[in-house]
Amino acid sequence: MLDAFSRAVVSADASTSVVSDIAALRNFVASGNRRLDAVNAIASNASCMVSDAVAGMICENQGLIQAGGNCYPNRRMAACLRDAEIILRYVTYALLAGDSSVLDDRCLNGLKETYAALGVPTTSAIRAVQIMKAQAVAHIQDNPSEKFAGAKLRKMNPILVEDRCASLVAEACSYFDRVIAALS
Amino acid sequence: MKSVVTTVIAAADSAGRFPTTSDLESVQGSIQRAAARLEAAEKLSANLDNVAREAYEACIKKYPYLNNPGEANSTDTFKAKCLRDIKHYLRLIQYCLVVGGTGPLDEWGIAGQREVYRALGLPTAPYVAALTFARNRGCAPRDMSAQALTEYNALLDYAINSLS
Repeated sequence: MLDAFSRAVVSADASTSVVSDIAALRNFVASGNRRLDAVNAIASNASCMVSDAVAGMICENQGLIQAGGNCYPNRRMAACLRDAEIILRYVTYALLAGDSSVLDDRCLNGLKETYAALGVPTTSAIRAVQIMKAQAVAHIQDNPSEKFAGAKLRKMNPILVEDRCASLVAEACSYFDRVIAALS
Repeated sequence: MKSVVTTVIAAADSAGRFPTTSDLESVQGSIQRAAARLEAAEKLSANLDNVAREAYEACIKKYPYLNNPGEANSTDTFKAKCLRDIKHYLRLIQYCLVVGGTGPLDEWGIAGQREVYRALGLPTAPYVAALTFARNRGCAPRDMSAQALTEYNALLDYAINSLS
């Protein structure tokens, strides 16, 4: 498993040179608190995100919870919720490390083959991951929209940074996209 | 490779939980200390050739017998290899400064080091002399800030200890 620092070291070692791009690592350090806040935002809302994503997936495809569907009976629904939580957890680890190696090695390696063997429909799994991606973006940006929230809109926090952590949002999206790519 | 971040993630993963507040606190601790390390890494990479050259010359001066025929510094090829070895240690020290732990030195420098030097018939005392010279050569604030120098010297000490 690597993080942003050890990734720089491993790639420098491949060409027996010193780590030259110190500026990128300084940048990682400087935005460290933002990264920790982003990880915390996802980790604190994880169970809500997971159940909403799976519920959304089922709403769009009711066949999943009818007899013969892949989320029927409860035992399989529970397995589905568990898997969504595992995927979200490894994405969170990758975001904390600033490198996708933990996600690749410990979660995505062989996932598609496992799902094929178990008969899990990857299109549904991908849909749940897409919903979690949108949720993660919303939690990192912390920018609830009036359009979706309506009367329930609450702006809890002051705006901390003007760009609403755009680079971290992009990074988190890239990890979710990695999951989607691994499943498709 | 071991660092504060990967250690925290490995512990969280083996318990199957999301990163907790205390996990994030310990990552933040390492991030706060990173500025000095990165400064030392930057200064060392800018001057690595000179630092290595000075350390190499100091160790040959201390052990002039190495220039005798058949010894480790007798031919041009051997001289280049001696200098390369010193550079190799300094590069690994730079990696350790970047990562914030001794992982690169442990994995790529120290593991098997004794066996290799024994097999090649190389003395370790000149390496110790070279790294000790580098250890005492750094000066704050001329070369880098005091905190950065502390981190740099600690890693040189670690490498010296592994050789002696």
